[in-house]
Amino acid sequence: MVALQNFITHTLHGVQYGFILFLIASGLTIILGILDVLNLAHGELFALGAYVSFSVLGYLTGLVGSPTDPASQAIFLVLVLAGAVIAALVLVPVGVLLESTLFRPIYERDEVYQLVLTFGLLLIIKDFNKLVWGPSPRRIQGVYSGINSIPVAKFVGLTYPTYNVVVIAVGAVVVVGLFWFFDRTKTGRIIRATAIDREMATAIGVNTERTFTLVFALGAFFAGFAGAMALPQSFASLEMGANPLVLSFVVIVIGGLGSLQGAFVAALLVGLLSKWATWQVPALELAAPFAIMALVLLVKPEGLFGTWGETE
Amino acid sequence: MKGLELTRKQAVLTVVGLLLAFAVPDLARLTASVQLSVVHQGLAFGLAAVGLNLLLRHTKLVSFGHAAFFGTGAYATALLASKLDVAMMSVLLLAAVLAAGLMAAVIGYLSLRHTGLYFSLLTLAFGQLLYALVQGQSYLGSSDGLPVRPGEANQPLIFGLALDADAYAVLLYYLTVVFAVVSLLVMYRLVKSPFGAALDAIGQDRTRAEFIGIPVQRYVWLAFVISGLYGGLAGAIYAMVQQHVRPGPVLYFLQSGDILYMAILGGFQTLLGPLVGGVVLVFLQDAGKDFTNYFDALTGIVLLVIVFGFPQGIVGSLERGGNVRQRAREFAEDPSVVGSWAAGAASALRSAFGDWVNSVRSMLGVR
Repeated sequence: MVALQNFITHTLHGVQYGFILFLIASGLTIILGILDVLNLAHGELFALGAYVSFSVLGYLTGLVGSPTDPASQAIFLVLVLAGAVIAALVLVPVGVLLESTLFRPIYERDEVYQLVLTFGLLLIIKDFNKLVWGPSPRRIQGVYSGINSIPVAKFVGLTYPTYNVVVIAVGAVVVVGLFWFFDRTKTGRIIRATAIDREMATAIGVNTERTFTLVFALGAFFAGFAGAMALPQSFASLEMGANPLVLSFVVIVIGGLGSLQGAFVAALLVGLLSKWATWQVPALELAAPFAIMALVLLVKPEGLFGTWGETE
Repeated sequence: MKGLELTRKQAVLTVVGLLLAFAVPDLARLTASVQLSVVHQGLAFGLAAVGLNLLLRHTKLVSFGHAAFFGTGAYATALLASKLDVAMMSVLLLAAVLAAGLMAAVIGYLSLRHTGLYFSLLTLAFGQLLYALVQGQSYLGSSDGLPVRPGEANQPLIFGLALDADAYAVLLYYLTVVFAVVSLLVMYRLVKSPFGAALDAIGQDRTRAEFIGIPVQRYVWLAFVISGLYGGLAGAIYAMVQQHVRPGPVLYFLQSGDILYMAILGGFQTLLGPLVGGVVLVFLQDAGKDFTNYFDALTGIVLLVIVFGFPQGIVGSLERGGNVRQRAREFAEDPSVVGSWAAGAASALRSAFGDWVNSVRSMLGVR
C-alpha cells in the first residue's frame, strides 16, 4: 500500500513537472514553429515573469495577509492565479517591443545572426533583472504553504501539496486553450496559414507583420506565465533562466521541432520518466531528461511528432 | 609556404600581428590593463572558435555545443595530470586532443543526421548532457572540478622543465601563440584543399553535393571531428593556464554560445576572425567586470551592435571596408553628414515606437 502511494505521489510529481515543462516550452515552440526563430532569451523572459510575479504577488497577497479560514484561503488562491496572469500580461508589451524593433529586421538573415541576437538579449534581460530586483534571490514567504494549507488531496486519502494540483489543473486548461486557439479560432488559423506560406497569406490580405508580432507576444506571455506559476514553489533568481531554457530544448527536440502536440507529449514524457527515474536512482536527476532525449532520438531521429515545416 | 600567397599588405599585417602577439607578455608587465592570463585565455577560446568556424563558414552548420570538446580537452588534461600523475605537457596535449576527437566522433555521429536548427539543438543538448554527467561525478570533483596537478608540483613540465610561475606562464603563452599559428596554417590548407571545396559545396546545397558524388555524411562528420580536435587543444591549453578545471567555465552551454559568438564577433567569413573574436570577447568580459556590475548586458549590447551594424565581424569589416569605412569617408568629406545620420536614426526609432504603440493598441482592442 505504501509502495502504491509512493508510486502515485511520484507520478503526480511527474505530471506536475511535465505541465511546468510544457508551459515553458509552449512559448518557445510557438515562436520557433511560426517565426522560425529559436529564441534563446526565452529562459530570461521566464525569469522576468517570475520576478514580476514576485512583485505583483507580494503586493496582492499583502492585501489578504495570511489565510486563516477556508474563505480567505480561497480568495488567496484566486489572487495568486490572478497575479500570475497579470505578471504574464506585463510580458506582452515587452514581447511586442522586442519583435517590432529587433526581430523584424532579421527574419531573412542567416539563422546564426538570430542566435546571436537572442543570445545578446538573454544577457541584457538577465542584467535588467539584476538591476531592478538585485543580485540575491527573491522569494515570497508563505504563499506556497498558504495554498498548501487548503487540503485538496486529503479527500482521496493522499497527502499531496495543493499547489501542485493547482499547477496540473492550470496546465490542463492552458493545453486545451492553446489547441482550441490554433485549431478552432480564426486568428489561430490565420497564424498557421502565415507560418505555412507567408506570401500567400499577404496576398489574401493578412497583415503578416502584425501576425508575427502577435505570435511573439503570445510566446512572451507564456514564458512569463510559466515563470509566475513556477515562482511560489521556489524563488526568483538570476540563474533561473538557463535550466528551463535547456529543458525546453529537450522537450521540443523530443516532440519534433515546432509541433505543439509534440511538445505536450514530450513534456509529459520527460516529466514522468525523469521523476520516476530520479525516484529509483537519485543520481540520475540532472542527466535523466537528456538521456531520455538521446534514447528517443536513436529510435526516432525526427522526434515523436517530427513534422517538418508543419506547424501545429 | 606553398599555396599561401599573401599580398604585400597582408604580409606586413601578418608580421605586425605576430610581433604584437609575442609582445603581449612584455606589454602586460608595462601596463595593468593588459593581463597575460586574460589574453592567453582569449587565445585558447579563440582557437576553439577557429575549429567551430570550419563548420559554420563552410558547411553552414551552427554547432551550439562546442564547449563539449573544449571541456573534454580540459578535463582530459586535468584527469591525467591529477589522477594518473602525467607531468609531460606534450602527452597531456596529445591525450586531450585525442579525447576531444573521440567525443566529437560520437556526438557528431548522433547530431549530424540533422541540419539546421535541429542540429544546433542536438549539439547543445549533448553538450548539456555531458555537463550534467560531469557535474554529477564526484570522481571528477562535481561542481568544484579538478586541479591540474595538485600540491607542490602544480604545473605540467614543458620540455621536461619545472619552471617558476612567471616563466611557466610566459613560456606557455609563447607556445600557445605557436600552436595558434600552426593551427591557422593547417586550417588554411584544409579549407583550400579539395576537401574544403567539398565542404563549401555541401554548405551551398546538400542535395547537389550528394548528386555530384560528394560523400556528404562522411565529409561533414570528418569536419566535425576536426573541429572537435581544435576544441580539445584549446581546452587543454585553458586547463594548463588556469591549472584548475570546473564544469561551469568549460562545459556549460553559455560557454558554447561564447565560442560561437567569438567566431561571429571576429568575422566568421574569415580565417583569422574567430581567433581575434576570442581574444576580444574574453578581454571585453574581463574588462567589463572591473568596469560595471552589468558586464553581461555590456557583452549583449556588443552582440546586438555586431548583428545590426557589423555583420561581417571585426576582421571581415576591416577587410571589406564595409559600413564603417564608408561612413568614415563620408564623414571626412562632409562632417555635417552626422546630422542626417542622427535624423535617420531618430526617424527609425520613431517609426519603431509608432509600430509598437499600434501593435499594443490593436492587441488590447483599442482603436
